[in-house]
Amino acid sequence: MNIAGESLGTFLARQTVQAATPLIMAGLGELLAEVTGVINIGIEGLMLMGCIAGYAAAGISGSGGVGLGAAIFAGMGTAAIFAGVTVWAAADQIVAGAAVNILAVGASGLAWFFYQNAREAVHRSVSLGRHVGFQSVAIPGLSRIPFFGPMLFDQYMLFYAAIILAVLIWLLLHHTRTGAILRALGDAPEACQAAGVSVRTWRTGAVLFAGACAGAAGAYLSIMRTHAFASDMTGGQGFVVLSLVIFGRWTIPGLIAGCLLFGGINSLQQILQTTRYTSHSTLMHALQHIPFEFFQMLPYVVALLALATLSRSSPGPRYLGQAWRQ
Amino acid sequence: MDPSAPPPTVNSMQSQSARYGVRHGPKVFWLWTAMAVGAIAFSGLLVLAVLAMSGYPALGILHRWIIGAAGNRFNSAASMADACPLLLTGLAAGVAFRSGVLNIGAQGQFLLGALVSVALTTRFIFPGPPWCVMLGAMAAACVAGGMWALLASVLERYRGVPVVLSTILLNFVALYLVRAALHGPLQAADTSAPQSPQLKVIYWLPILITNTDFHLGIPLAFAVAVALAVVLGRTNFGFELLITGLNPRVARLVGMPVARRQFAIMFLSGCCAGLGGAVQVLGVTHFMLGNFGNYGYTGIAVALLGRLNPIGIAVAAVFFGMLDTGSRFVEESSLALPHQMANVVKGVIILAMLVASAWMMRRGSRDRSLEAGENQNTPDQQQVQS
Repeated sequence: MNIAGESLGTFLARQTVQAATPLIMAGLGELLAEVTGVINIGIEGLMLMGCIAGYAAAGISGSGGVGLGAAIFAGMGTAAIFAGVTVWAAADQIVAGAAVNILAVGASGLAWFFYQNAREAVHRSVSLGRHVGFQSVAIPGLSRIPFFGPMLFDQYMLFYAAIILAVLIWLLLHHTRTGAILRALGDAPEACQAAGVSVRTWRTGAVLFAGACAGAAGAYLSIMRTHAFASDMTGGQGFVVLSLVIFGRWTIPGLIAGCLLFGGINSLQQILQTTRYTSHSTLMHALQHIPFEFFQMLPYVVALLALATLSRSSPGPRYLGQAWRQ
Repeated sequence: MDPSAPPPTVNSMQSQSARYGVRHGPKVFWLWTAMAVGAIAFSGLLVLAVLAMSGYPALGILHRWIIGAAGNRFNSAASMADACPLLLTGLAAGVAFRSGVLNIGAQGQFLLGALVSVALTTRFIFPGPPWCVMLGAMAAACVAGGMWALLASVLERYRGVPVVLSTILLNFVALYLVRAALHGPLQAADTSAPQSPQLKVIYWLPILITNTDFHLGIPLAFAVAVALAVVLGRTNFGFELLITGLNPRVARLVGMPVARRQFAIMFLSGCCAGLGGAVQVLGVTHFMLGNFGNYGYTGIAVALLGRLNPIGIAVAAVFFGMLDTGSRFVEESSLALPHQMANVVKGVIILAMLVASAWMMRRGSRDRSLEAGENQNTPDQQQVQS
């Protein structure tokens, strides 16, 4: 069976990676922040800010690169507010994260409203120009490999960036002195302080990095994989990222595996939703009687089941969620 | 280790109450009130200054906003109606957070409550007088929300899935369950959208003040707040819930049924959220859409603003309701300011509030730790699992 000129398996693999990319990107940042002891449930809001900033900046400047830069900047700016409140004022992280989410829903809604007005005032279309958004980048040669080529070497630029970043962060965390400090920040901040490491400065850095990652992930949604903006475009992906970081037990391989699992099931359910009407197999026809919402629900149910069946281990950074008062 | 010990969770989730600085006494109350007023005034000034700088008539907007929120009988009632679901989801978050359970799932519990109440008043009406049907729908919504929350608690206790995580995931499961039901058995006949038919007028909660939105659910929600304030603050049961959250080890040592109390916390929390959904359907919308608001997530913020105290939560919810109603009035009055502004204001207020309260707590705890000579950065002993 073929979809869009590709075999089903290839198509599914490509879609899986495409769906997993923003989760991996935002997850890497959140993982680093959580390793240093800061949990940010406002990641959804940060992504939303990245979406609108990327879209509006790309639309106005006519350049996707500017849009991506603006998205990263917007993510970092919002994360800076979060860092100020949680790291410097030592306020509660869960509630501050919830506040960031509310703020981002409002701010992105306002920005979208003003962007539409501004475009109307100069008689330009709200939608992006034809060559403004990013297209996928095929790596010459490698992308011809059957199956793995389309899956890994014919993706959007952000996927390559995320993979490089993942390797770098893994090396950083486990093979450098900096990584030892970062992990100690979440497990034994008092030791860090005794060693003369400024807990607050380092944590701020980690939170800002998480903001940049989330902003980039937001831009991926609005100017890379799709070239559009909608007010609820993140659709809970930030919360998914949050749970995938815990799901992966704060390890990078675990996080990526979780993202691919989630992206894979999500892509599979999307394919099933359409193929059950076009396929000739009786099994597929039987699936027609299931409302499509149950397919949409599938990734979340699988995540819950996986969590419930996996052995519990590694309770995570000891000071996760706790403010540090100097 | 004691086999009945709770599994290790995403740690530091215990002792929430200590983190939020829940303390009593008139001095704390007045300090908090002054701080809340200060934070709100600061946020208001900040937002108005930004608006003025971007060319809006800031004072005109403020004026409109106040009129829209409480300018007359009708607008005040609308504010109360907006506050009602926030109050109940705020109570849901408050009950759980107060005892150290991070229930982020009020959204899903709210949705399920709404769904059950719609089901019991449109498709599956059991015979009886309308008030009986409504009462049954609300009770069933409570149970539905409570059971949904309980599921997360059970998953934590027996399978070690952190409540923060399972409640987030269950929110999405609930959302798609609701949409499936609204596309399937509960769908209205004349539409292809995920939307329930409208309730018959006899199943609407009665309006208590004529020509306004002030329905019976509003006093009911406030009654729930008062009841919770009494139960949590004045009874043995409420104290046990608090201790279970503050320090499960101590609770176990003095012979409290820790597991049952932890389940009770979640069930009670889910009940509030579920009731919120039912009241919103029966009292305000009278039908249900696939997209039914973000009351659950906003409830977390309301709970904080109210200091996790049921009466405080009621005050905070009314304030948020006024913000919402006022912003819609501003939007309608040709000032070209979308109602999303309300969310910006809410976010800024909560952040300002957090900074102020953290600052106050720090001052308080610094004084005390100087007296006691203790190091307050030591995490609770019971977090270090053997």
